[in-house]
Amino acid sequence: MMTPTQGPGRWLTWDRPLPWLLPLTVVLLLFTVYPLFYNIWLSFHEYAPLKRQLVWVGGKNWSTLLEDTRFWQSIGVTMVYFFVVLALEVVLGMLIALLLDSDEPGFGFLRGTLTLTLVVPPAVVGMMFLLMEDPEFGVLSYALKSLGILDSSTPILSTPSLALTGVMLADVWQWTPFMVLIFLAGLRSLPAEPFEAAMLDGASAFQMFRRLTLPLMAKVIAVAILIRGIDLFRMFDYVYVMTSGGPGTATYTVSLYAWQQTFSFIKWGYGATISLVTLIIILIMANLFIRLAKVRW
Amino acid sequence: MKDSDKKRYRADLVGRYVNRQIDRRTFLKQAGLLGLGAGVLGSGLVRPDGLPLISQARAAEEVLQPSADILAWVKEVSAPFKGTTLKLATESTPPSNAINALLKPYFEEASGMKVEIEVLPLEQVLQKMTLDIASSLGTYDLYYIDQSWAASFSNDVFDPREQTEAKPELAMPDYNLDDFLPALVDGVASYGDRWVGVPYDIPIFIMMYRKDIYEQMGFKAPTTMEEYYTQAKAITEQMGPKLYGATGQMKSGHYSLECDWTAWLWGHGGSIFNKDGRFTGHDDAGLAAMDYWTRLWKTMPPGVIGWTWDGEGQSVAQGVAATMMSWGEFFPSFDDPAASKVSGLMEPVRCPAPVTKLRTVEETGFGEIPGVGHQGGSSLAVSKNSKNPDAAWIFMQWATCADTQVLITTLGGGTGPTRRSVYDDPRVLANARVGPGTTRHLSVVRETIDKDMGSEPDLPQWAELSNDTIPVRLGKYFAGEYGSAKEAMDDIARAVDVVMAG
Repeated sequence: MMTPTQGPGRWLTWDRPLPWLLPLTVVLLLFTVYPLFYNIWLSFHEYAPLKRQLVWVGGKNWSTLLEDTRFWQSIGVTMVYFFVVLALEVVLGMLIALLLDSDEPGFGFLRGTLTLTLVVPPAVVGMMFLLMEDPEFGVLSYALKSLGILDSSTPILSTPSLALTGVMLADVWQWTPFMVLIFLAGLRSLPAEPFEAAMLDGASAFQMFRRLTLPLMAKVIAVAILIRGIDLFRMFDYVYVMTSGGPGTATYTVSLYAWQQTFSFIKWGYGATISLVTLIIILIMANLFIRLAKVRW
Repeated sequence: MKDSDKKRYRADLVGRYVNRQIDRRTFLKQAGLLGLGAGVLGSGLVRPDGLPLISQARAAEEVLQPSADILAWVKEVSAPFKGTTLKLATESTPPSNAINALLKPYFEEASGMKVEIEVLPLEQVLQKMTLDIASSLGTYDLYYIDQSWAASFSNDVFDPREQTEAKPELAMPDYNLDDFLPALVDGVASYGDRWVGVPYDIPIFIMMYRKDIYEQMGFKAPTTMEEYYTQAKAITEQMGPKLYGATGQMKSGHYSLECDWTAWLWGHGGSIFNKDGRFTGHDDAGLAAMDYWTRLWKTMPPGVIGWTWDGEGQSVAQGVAATMMSWGEFFPSFDDPAASKVSGLMEPVRCPAPVTKLRTVEETGFGEIPGVGHQGGSSLAVSKNSKNPDAAWIFMQWATCADTQVLITTLGGGTGPTRRSVYDDPRVLANARVGPGTTRHLSVVRETIDKDMGSEPDLPQWAELSNDTIPVRLGKYFAGEYGSAKEAMDDIARAVDVVMAG
């Protein structure tokens, strides 16, 4: 009989980390590193329909991208979407989390219902809001018209100045509960002592929120912003279902543009280039945020 | 069981299914127990979405079955291919849905082959085909080819005439390639001298209008563009916002918007390209078309600029719009009282006549065929990468033969056939009455194919031009982002030049 020090098991000891890391390393190499390098390689090629193969185009995709006004417009739309939706979801998420941070009867149930929107596929949510915002049959359009907020001849999703807001509504509705859940988890794990001391010192609720809750929650908020921020930057489903990027290019996000170039027009190289630039932008923004927010992992 | 009991049971079974008291699975199971099987399935009752098609009494009386001769032929020639699996990626169209949901089991039973049909959005079909061709994997044995892709894929599929000649022992008796409507062969399933498969389906623009509203207003079906506009305007002014005179598929950036544009463009004597391959949508005829379309748009519901064909069809079905110059395949659903508020109230006619003489094919570029009846047909073809091209050819012949097309048309909800003989088939004519799955519009469809059909140009860049370059800018125009139609069309011309230059 072999002992662990003699057979293959001798490699699986606590002081030898490499064998334990091997499975994950293989997975990462296969599903992260290889696609990334393949994407970089692809960005210097383009599919030639007549030759039925990828051909080397050098830096053409990159130079085209720099001059592509549609791409930069889509970056602009994505940025607006990113900042507005993120701000709304963080603020609303925090407000609702503060309201639900209670042990009174019924609050547990309310917290449980928050998960409901998260289990609905985004494409279905997009379809729901598409119908709700329909100028003929939509309940939301009807309500806004009844309140005098919306003109009867103004279709929300077909009006350039309103379309992006119409799409944002769907996102905020679906993902604010996600922020609430994260914030609630943070709030409920805060130590009670500082708050008790503050109360004894006569601090107001707002002072306690600003001086205690926010600083203590900083890391949780930062993580939530990071996760949602990355998600928001690659938002696709809602615009695809609700507006197809229109009217005109008013809601064309960078993900939709990359998808269109890659799959509708079979420009695989150009699509890869757009995706890489998007990745670079996300990395820069995320690192900038980590530095500014002084998040330490 | 006595014959009379059997009939009574069948009528009862049909009645329960038609009234949705039992689901399709239960219906088929009980029909099978009764020994009806194919008879009941083929009685013109069901369509892919599970809605009943014809009345209980009629269903109980009539039997539609696949031809026993054809199934015998399938059985005979398929012997060497038993156990083969064939794959097809297709858009969700009536023929594909009817075959997938209802008719495929007959072929599979007779041939011993398995047929896998992937129903996908159109752009995903294109994506899968392109990947399949680029990789030469032969994942798909058959390709569903939209008419606008014919140029791109003409060399990747077999010409059915070559297949017939090369393997006469596999040719279906009386398949008759000449039975396909020549206009569809030219406009949908050929590029240069090659046939790119055979015409498979033919959605085409016809005029559909509310007979009751037209009678109330003292109108007759419009025969000219201007008459159509005047009627639409009058209806909107008198009955709006409850009912509008016209409707459309005008969602910004969507292919449907480009489809509407071409109908008005061609109808005003314009064309997308000239014989030199330059964009001409911004010439005088193009601007006249835009002027007309802008006026007509003002008679449509406000939501029209957010609708694709689905919204457009719904606006008529829900009684919001009184007319629609669009896809004829919507018509049967308008007659279905379960899906529409206007059952029996709609009438089909040919599209209004063009304002001026149409441009000839010689005056346009890339094989563009001007005509107010915009067609969006597709073909079915065997892939040259298929590992089982002979087996796929057998399936293709069965799927597109006259008998199967009759069943597709009757079971598939009144979709337009691509074969001449199917339009005259008694089983198809028998469904020409008010009700779900009606075929009473097919005479208009056939006349439109013969006289009014318009086809888009065939060029590799067309996917980008028709799905993005043109409809995005048209969308901007209708959203008020251009100062004038001329400004919009000039911008489109510049953008088209950029795409064409690569």
